[in-house]
Order: sequence, then C-alpha cells, then structure tokens
Amino acid sequence: MISVKNVSKWYGAFQVLADCSTEVQKGEVVVVCGPSGSGKSTLIKCVNALEPFQEGEILVDGISVGDPRTDLPKLRSRVGMVFQHFELFPHLTVTENLTLAQIKVLNRQKDAAVAKGLKLLERVDLSAHKDKFPGNLSGGQQQRVAIARALCMDPIAMLFDEPTSALDPEMINEVLDVMVELAQEGMTMMVVTHEMGFARKVAHRVIFMDSGRIVEDAPKEEFFGTPRSERAQLFLSKILQH
Amino acid sequence: MSGFDFDVIQRSVWYLFRDGMTFTVTLTLMAMAGGIVFGTLLAMMRLASFQPLAWVAGAYVNLMRSVPLVLVIFWFFFLVPYIGAWVIGEKTPIKVGAFWSAVITFTMFEAAYYCEIMRAGIQSIARGQVAASLALGLNYWQTMGHIVLPQAFRNMVPVLLTQTIILFQDTSLVYVISATDFLGAAAKVANRDYRLVEMYSFVALVYFVISFAASYYVRSLQGRIAVVR
Amino acid sequence: MNYNWNWGILLQAEPGGSGSYLQYLVVGLGWTLATALAAWVIALAIGLVVGTLRTTPLKWIVRLSNAYVEVFRNVPLIVQMFLWFFVLPEVLPTGLGDWMKQMPPPWGSYVPAVLCLGIYTSVRVAEQVRAGIQSLPRGQGMAGTALGLSLLQTYRYVILPMVMRIMLPPLTSEFMNIIKNSSVALTIGLLELTGRARAMQEFSFQVFEAFAAATAIYLLTNLVVVLGMRALERKVRVPGLITAQGAGAQ
Repeated sequence: MISVKNVSKWYGAFQVLADCSTEVQKGEVVVVCGPSGSGKSTLIKCVNALEPFQEGEILVDGISVGDPRTDLPKLRSRVGMVFQHFELFPHLTVTENLTLAQIKVLNRQKDAAVAKGLKLLERVDLSAHKDKFPGNLSGGQQQRVAIARALCMDPIAMLFDEPTSALDPEMINEVLDVMVELAQEGMTMMVVTHEMGFARKVAHRVIFMDSGRIVEDAPKEEFFGTPRSERAQLFLSKILQH
Repeated sequence: MSGFDFDVIQRSVWYLFRDGMTFTVTLTLMAMAGGIVFGTLLAMMRLASFQPLAWVAGAYVNLMRSVPLVLVIFWFFFLVPYIGAWVIGEKTPIKVGAFWSAVITFTMFEAAYYCEIMRAGIQSIARGQVAASLALGLNYWQTMGHIVLPQAFRNMVPVLLTQTIILFQDTSLVYVISATDFLGAAAKVANRDYRLVEMYSFVALVYFVISFAASYYVRSLQGRIAVVR
Repeated sequence: MNYNWNWGILLQAEPGGSGSYLQYLVVGLGWTLATALAAWVIALAIGLVVGTLRTTPLKWIVRLSNAYVEVFRNVPLIVQMFLWFFVLPEVLPTGLGDWMKQMPPPWGSYVPAVLCLGIYTSVRVAEQVRAGIQSLPRGQGMAGTALGLSLLQTYRYVILPMVMRIMLPPLTSEFMNIIKNSSVALTIGLLELTGRARAMQEFSFQVFEAFAAATAIYLLTNLVVVLGMRALERKVRVPGLITAQGAGAQ
C-alpha cells in the first residue's frame, strides 16, 4: 500500500532523512518511533508530499508521490492524516470541519456530506458537539474530531503524526481507544508515536529511527523482545520506565 | 475677526452633505473594497514561492509607499485617460471624471497598505493549518479561500478598519484635482461667500467627529473579537 | 499610447528664469527637505514630551495629552493645513494675524506648513514614544526608583535613552512620512517638489516627464534616508537590546 524506497532529504546542507526504505502492507499497522529530531515526523509527512524529498521514491497505492505529474490533491484526499496539534479549522464549526473537504474535493452533496460527518462524529462519541467551534472543545475531543474528519474522506490509509503528544495525560486514552478500534477493523495505519502500549497492543511492525536513518524495522514481538541495535535498546529503556 | 457667521453653515449644510459627503463616503467605500481585494492579491503574490511574482508585488508596494499621495493623485489623474484610450483602442485620451480617477487612484494606492496588513494576517496563520488543509486534498486556491484568508481577514479586521479611517481622511486630498468631495464642496462655499474661517472650522469638526467615533468603535471591537482557538 | 515623450525638457530653461527645469525641481526638493526637517524638530520635541506624559501616573495630564493626540489625529492633514493658513490668522489678535498674513512668499506658506506638519506628526511620534516606553520591562523603571532617582531622573537617564533606540525604526518611517506629507503644503502655495512638478507640467505640458522626474527624486531621497538611518542604528546599537521592529508603525 505504502512503499518507501531509498528516500533521502536535506534542509540545505543538513540531511534529515538518509536512505530510508520500508513497506506498509494493506491492513498493516506500523508504528514509527525514535528520539526527537530523528526524522520520523518528516518521513511521515513525505508520504503525502507535505514535505518534498530530493532522492528516492514513495509509492502510495502504486502512485508515485514525488512525480510532478501526480495529482497531489487527489492523492492526499485518499490518505487521511492526523496532526500533533489537531489543526481543526478554528473559524469553522465541528460539522463544517467534517464536511468542507467532502464537498470541495470529493464533490459530495451537502446533505450526504453532513450525514457522513455526523455518522463518524457519532463513532468518536462527540455527536453532542456538532455545532460547536473547535476552540470550545478539549484537546482530546479536538483530536477525535480530527480523526473523524480524516475518516470522512474514506481513506485507503491513515497517517498519524504524534497524535497524543500535545495532549494532557488524562486525554491520551480517549484518543488511543479510537485508534485501537480503527486498527482492529483493519485500517492501514502508519503511526508516529511514543505510546509503546499502543504499539504492543495493535502494531504489526515497529520502525525505530535515529538521525534520519531507519535503524530497526522489525515485527512487534521481535522489537520488544530483543532490539538489535543499542540505540533502540537505550531508547526503549528510557521510555518504558514510565 | 468679524463675528462667527453660523448662518453660512446652516445655508450650505445640505449641499455639503448631499454632494460633498456622499462623494467622500462613496469614494472611501469603493476604494476600501477595491483596495482590500487588490491588496489581498498583492499579499498572496508577495508570499508566492515563485520569485518573480513576489518581486513584482514587492516593487509595486514599495513604490506606492515611497511617493506622496498627492503626487500619485496627479499621476493617475493624467495617466488614466491615456490608459483608458489604450485599453479601448482610441487614438486620443478619453475623458475620465474626477470621481472615477479618484476611485482608481485610491484603490491602487491603498492596495499597497492593505497588502501589508493582509500579508501580516496570512503569516499569522499557523503553518499547520495549511498542512491540514492540503492533507485533506484541498488545492492552493481552496486552501487560501476556505482556510487561510477567512482567518487572516478576521484577525485583521481592526487593522483594516483603522486603515480605512486613514483612507477616509486621505480622500480629502482630491481637493488638488478640484473634485467636489466634502472639503471641496466646503471650499467652494467658503470662496464664494468669503467665509473661510466658518467653513474650514466646520469641516475640521465634522471630520473629527466621524473619525473619532469610528476609531473609538474599532478600539471597542478590538477588545471583543479575540479569535477562539 | 499616443504621447510625445521629450526627456530633453528637463534640461530646457523654465519660464521663471532660474535655470533648467531639473534645477527647478531640485530646488523644490530643497524646500521639501527644509519643510520636513524644521517640522521634524517640532514633531520630535512635542512628541517626546506628550508621549512620555501619557505614560506617567498623573491622571489629568494623561487625559490632556490623550485629548491632544485625538484632536490632531482625527482631522485630515489638508484640513489642518487650511486651519493654520486661512483660519488661524483670522482668529489671532489683529496685530499677530496681520503679521502672519503679510509674511512675504514663500515664508507666508512655509511657516504655517512647518507648524502644521510638525504638530500633525508630533501625535504620531507621541504614539510611538508611548508604545516604546510601555514595551520596556516594568522592572527598569522600578530599578531606577530603587536607586533613589526621582521620576524625572528615571525618565531622563534610564527610560528615554533606551526608548530612543527601540524607536529608531518606527521614527525612520515617520520621518519618511513627513517628507511625503510635506507635499500637501502645495495646497497653501508652497512650491516644494510635488508643487514644482505640477507647475512644470502646466508650463511645459510634458506631464509624465515632470511627474517621473519628481518620483525618481522622491525614491532617491527615501533611499538616502533609509541608508542613513541604518548607519545610525548600527552606531547606537546596545548589545542584547532587541529593537521593536516597526512596533505599531506602518
């Protein structure tokens, strides 16, 4: 479904991604972790071309992301993305947030878009808040709306960029619960996160990145059993203490 | 001073407002609308990743901001007839009245100032908002039209209104092309009846009351519209 | 476009007999600068005082300064020009009024223009001064008071020297505004740069050469002011003090 082949990226002279390669199969859940500044967020943003890259190739459902002839808006509309800081549109109500792209990009009728939006809002258990503005919701609620907004587009895969790291601790679980449910339903997911509990529960594979490189790319059991690299061991011991 | 003659004001007040103030207010509103639209386009150009576009817009804005408004008014007063002739393919310069000449001048001139306001407004929108919009599949124009500009515009309403109050005052400079705006109308009466003291004092008072009330309103607005985030 | 360009006109003699049209315009620039500089002195002096007063704890003085600012900010410049030129001599005591009216040209226009522009700009300077002082950390004033300085000494030795540095960029743009605004003085008969370009257009009928030359002169003047101010900024820079880049300025 998503295939990353030898991707490298530089900011000026500074290399942020170095020869990264990996695959995400249909229905697979892959967790990407690593210390901050390791390039994991950059990598996931490359997958839907929010960040350009200079070398290598990324294919999403067989379509090359870096090809200048690719219809990027169309490709992006098929890949859902959830951001660290939610990025709901503050000047639109919850319902408008859910329907804008359905109407403008997928050309759905307004009624159909609203119906779809409310169905997914129901799913993240926020139907009561449909007419509120994002600013009136808690962080956890905003992130659940953001997930619903991405799901409204009927995505073939979902990208999560540190979806819980801007949340207060008591709100993390409400978001993770939604993500676990999605994973169990067979959604293809690429998730940048430090939530190892989530990884243990639903991930098929774990990728560990450091200094722009993919250091480890292993099935979950193997990764949590005996990580091969020292860096990964050190990283795990640091975050699993808590 | 030979006694303040209130009568001349009373006699001319209807003319001053019906002809003069109508001219002034219409000119202000049209130049505001045109200036904000053109200024927003300029701001988008200045922020474009295509360098020549950014450069052209930047040069335009800096040129307009470096030259006195009076000189710009003269420029357009003489230039617009030639441009009009060129556009419709006439040999000789076409006739353009003081009003339309002024509308074009103030639209083009104020656009440079509105541009800088809208540019700051666009830059105040977090980059993540653009990323989220693009990630949903919206294209550049949809992202601008539905996500960035509405928020930028709302954040900048008080500054845009303050600029419009400045524009309202600046329109009095059409006096130099003998237009009959509020000041021009008063000047005509003043010179006809030789009542300069009364007429110019009255003009100053009217401008003061309107501008002061408007800026008071903008200040109270500023306190109220904090964007919910 | 059907227009006969004739750039040579700039080197032809102007009808007043003072030399070429180009010289005529350059003398206009001289009057523009003479007006702007004299008005700038007034604007800085009043602006510093009024702006500072607006930050003092003296309530009725603050109110009085605020009223001053509101009055001169909310009346268009050209109307203020007319008040100084046409209205003031009439309402002053007869002797003084007649003296103003009988000043020989160009002084009869120059003096009211300078007063008008100076006071008009002073309220803008006052706004910048107030914003500059209020942007300083409150601790600075308290540190001054704690050392036993009086209110006046705190302002004189602690607050104002720092504010002046913070305010250089916004003051630069105010100075450029005063140069541009001096063109409004043509409405009361001062033949500064724009006024002379307008006159040249009337004598020679070469509209666009006249305005283009004036525009070029204004652009050059701007460039010189910007470069000069940048040099000044470098000279008075204090390590670690961030300048409020155009704080509140256009």
